[in-house]
Amino acid sequence: MGIFSKDDPSEVKPLNIIIVGCGKVGRTLIAQLSKEGNDITIIDENAQKISDVTNEYDIMGIVGNGASYSLQKEAGIDDTDLLIAVTDSDELNLLCCTIATRIGKCSAIARVRNPEYSTELNYLRDRLGLAMIINPEMEAALEVARILYLPSALEVNSFAHGEAQMIKFKVDESSKLVGKAIYSVAKETKNLLFTTVFRDGQAIIPNGNFVFAAGDMVSFVTSRHYGKNALQSLGIPTFHVRDCMIIGGGKAAYYLAQQLIGENISVKIIERDEERCEQLSELLPNAIIINGDGTDAELLKEEGIETADAFVPLTGIDEENILLTLHAKQVSKAKIVTKINRFAFQDVINNLDLGSIVYPRIITSEAIIAYARAKRASMDSNIETLYHMYDDKVEAIEFRIGKPSPATGTPLKNLRLRGHVMVSFINRNGRIIFPTGEDTIEVGDTVMIVTTHTGFSDIVDILA
Amino acid sequence: MNQSIIKYVIGKVMTIVGALMLLPIVTGIIYQEKEAFAYVIVGAASFLAGQLLSRKKPKNTMFYLKEGCVVTALTWILISIIGAIPFVLTGEIPNFIDAMFETSSGFTTTGSSILKNVEALSHTSLIWRSFTHWVGGMGVLVFLLAVIPMSGGSNINLMKAESPGPSVGKLAPKIRNSASILYKIYLGMTVLEIVLLLIAKMPLFDTLCISFGSAGTGGFGVRNDSCGSYTGLQQWITGIFCALFGVNFNFYYYILDREPKKSFKMEEVRTYFCIIFASTFLIFFNILPRFNTVESALRASFFQVSSIITTTGFSSVDFNLWPSFSKVILVALMFVGACAGSTGGGYKVSRLVIAIKTVIKEANSYIHPKSVKKIKMDGECVEHDVLRSINVYTITYLVIFVVSVLLVSIEGKDLVTTFTAVAATYNNIGPGLAAVGPSANFADLSYFSKIVLIFDMLSGRLELFPMLILFHPAVLKDVFLKKKALKATK
Repeated sequence: MGIFSKDDPSEVKPLNIIIVGCGKVGRTLIAQLSKEGNDITIIDENAQKISDVTNEYDIMGIVGNGASYSLQKEAGIDDTDLLIAVTDSDELNLLCCTIATRIGKCSAIARVRNPEYSTELNYLRDRLGLAMIINPEMEAALEVARILYLPSALEVNSFAHGEAQMIKFKVDESSKLVGKAIYSVAKETKNLLFTTVFRDGQAIIPNGNFVFAAGDMVSFVTSRHYGKNALQSLGIPTFHVRDCMIIGGGKAAYYLAQQLIGENISVKIIERDEERCEQLSELLPNAIIINGDGTDAELLKEEGIETADAFVPLTGIDEENILLTLHAKQVSKAKIVTKINRFAFQDVINNLDLGSIVYPRIITSEAIIAYARAKRASMDSNIETLYHMYDDKVEAIEFRIGKPSPATGTPLKNLRLRGHVMVSFINRNGRIIFPTGEDTIEVGDTVMIVTTHTGFSDIVDILA
Repeated sequence: MNQSIIKYVIGKVMTIVGALMLLPIVTGIIYQEKEAFAYVIVGAASFLAGQLLSRKKPKNTMFYLKEGCVVTALTWILISIIGAIPFVLTGEIPNFIDAMFETSSGFTTTGSSILKNVEALSHTSLIWRSFTHWVGGMGVLVFLLAVIPMSGGSNINLMKAESPGPSVGKLAPKIRNSASILYKIYLGMTVLEIVLLLIAKMPLFDTLCISFGSAGTGGFGVRNDSCGSYTGLQQWITGIFCALFGVNFNFYYYILDREPKKSFKMEEVRTYFCIIFASTFLIFFNILPRFNTVESALRASFFQVSSIITTTGFSSVDFNLWPSFSKVILVALMFVGACAGSTGGGYKVSRLVIAIKTVIKEANSYIHPKSVKKIKMDGECVEHDVLRSINVYTITYLVIFVVSVLLVSIEGKDLVTTFTAVAATYNNIGPGLAAVGPSANFADLSYFSKIVLIFDMLSGRLELFPMLILFHPAVLKDVFLKKKALKATK
């Protein structure tokens, strides 16, 4: 009887999750977490938003103030495993989480964006008993900074507390890689491992016989200090960014400038609002703050867009950022990183060939989803980091190995791995191992997996 | 319009209807009736055709409100047709329109019958007739949502289109869990009624049919005098359960969820019980002189009030013979209907409560023209959108009603018959007054009137708009012409 069959995607018990705040991040979280089969309740004060989102997703919506005790009760805080507060207000987020952890037995995640709290996040988290505090603007700024350190890369993600990096680049027609198989490239390079190739809309986990072609997007992992050399050994010219032009002086710009100045890169910020300019010059005495309209081509020219090493549009308006990027591509050779807040019209953005793009919203939701998945799996195994790559077609997950399992202690060549899974590196006490068939996964390691499957929550998921 | 998902859902529904015919088939085997063959044929055909239609899961599972409405309306028309075929095949109701009237009356939990002699029907057909009430009561699509994992979140639009009431809330974050909670409560209460009736010594077959009838608030009986020949105790049990099935199911959910406070805060349920008590009381004094004992008068008045307000339509006595005052109360109750979120039909108590509050607000605004006052229900403000939709609903409700009365009046029956025939089918009750009263039936109406009444039953059960949307020119074009357009672009 077909009609009573259950095709539940996983036998793991779904989590009860309350999300407070139905903004951009809230919706991304809903989309991903409900796809993974969790029971979600969304709270927002805007009835229209609630009705829209409950029409679109299979979730329950409640209209009201998420920090109110009685409303949290109504949302079933007593049986909730995880509360995520992502409203506009930092203070409201913290209050929601504080109340939730006091009345329920749930974990709580808050989004806190105000730079004034940025140095106190760990203190707040521990004192208030929260599972995680996340600052998307700061994370986005860190990601931009990582890309600027390796300007030939399209995307740089960090793993193992920054000890390892995954670097994405595009194979040009003139590249020496074109027509070569991975095993022959591997002879000439060391300390790197190719993890994913994206070709014609398909993500491929390549084996040694895979042959590169022009236009491929390729990701590889390498250790932290070796990134630049790795790119060079692949025949990709790298240079050092010495100065950077940032358009828009918001929170992300502040965090980025702080990072870059720390690395001795000179920073120029163009901001429209005079008052904000004064604030910034107070906060960032070493940066050049220009009060003017960043979308004015004349001003950009005057401030030297043509000779800048790096150009980062960080305004709050995506359309402006995209246009600025397209403009900069025409007039300068600078390395460009574009920030995109919303995610609409992804297909259009993909076709524009903007180069490096960061999505603060996705960074936030990835961190939260990694936490939710780990919580759902078991207490002994944990997901350290999770990245979605190539339009969510590939997941890169770093697992912490907490206990012996069928995947540990056996040489990799003897493990029966599922298809489309690659063990990219093993981090043993801060040492990055690019595994061969002889290596084993041991308790205490963190292990990075790249896969086109979705929803892995434990290391044993890699086994067939 | 996403045609592939519509096809898929309809296929699933046909599979389920085919599977549901197992009950009459088993009954037929037990009673060794040859009518069972008709159900075997139709059931198997529907099951297979359904499997065939839904064998491939469509890629695009997106479901908007219009798809929800169209699927719901098509589904209900389709199950009325499939359910009618066995009656024609067995020859018990030879005319197809009659058979369809009977089945849609079953699925929409109306309980109006065109059968002059119910007792002549085979057990197989009788139990199918009553079982359609049970299936239709909570809704076949809600059942579908409960048993079949449907990916994509927009399935709420299916539940919205099928569930009675001005606004549909979920009980659990996942729609599948919400639907199965509803069905568990529904099933649990039905079993309870079956057990109690068996203890009260009702024969098993009657027990099943009567329980199905009262659970779905349908009203098909298995005897010509409906519930008249049952004992007092059996009538009390049936009457009380009718009233209970007319309560908003959230009421039971909150109690089971150990939050009885929330249950008793529900204004709709309180009003509903107040109406029942007041009407019972009034009718009781009005009809007392006609009865030998106080108990029998009280029982008759309560049974009738409960049966009519929940839109069940059982009768324990021929209330057509009662004084006008009592009859008018009953007709008024027909329009009130049961609670939203129950299995009953009608205008719904919650709409009535809100509508009356708007009237009071309007009256107050004559005294304080600039006063600002929000209408509240259960202590919470009623959104402007809900008020608007209730007003529109009321107007649509009246327009369809008046037009239907007009159409049925063409054949020239008297006003009471015409009026109550429409009222009884439109509100999913069953018997009307005069020539369609509890001791009579709908057999003598013309086929044209029967078709009008079939439409009324379906639109009453689906709360008007899904049926109306189906005839919207844009939807008609979408459903029937989309394929050509696609081919042209290829």
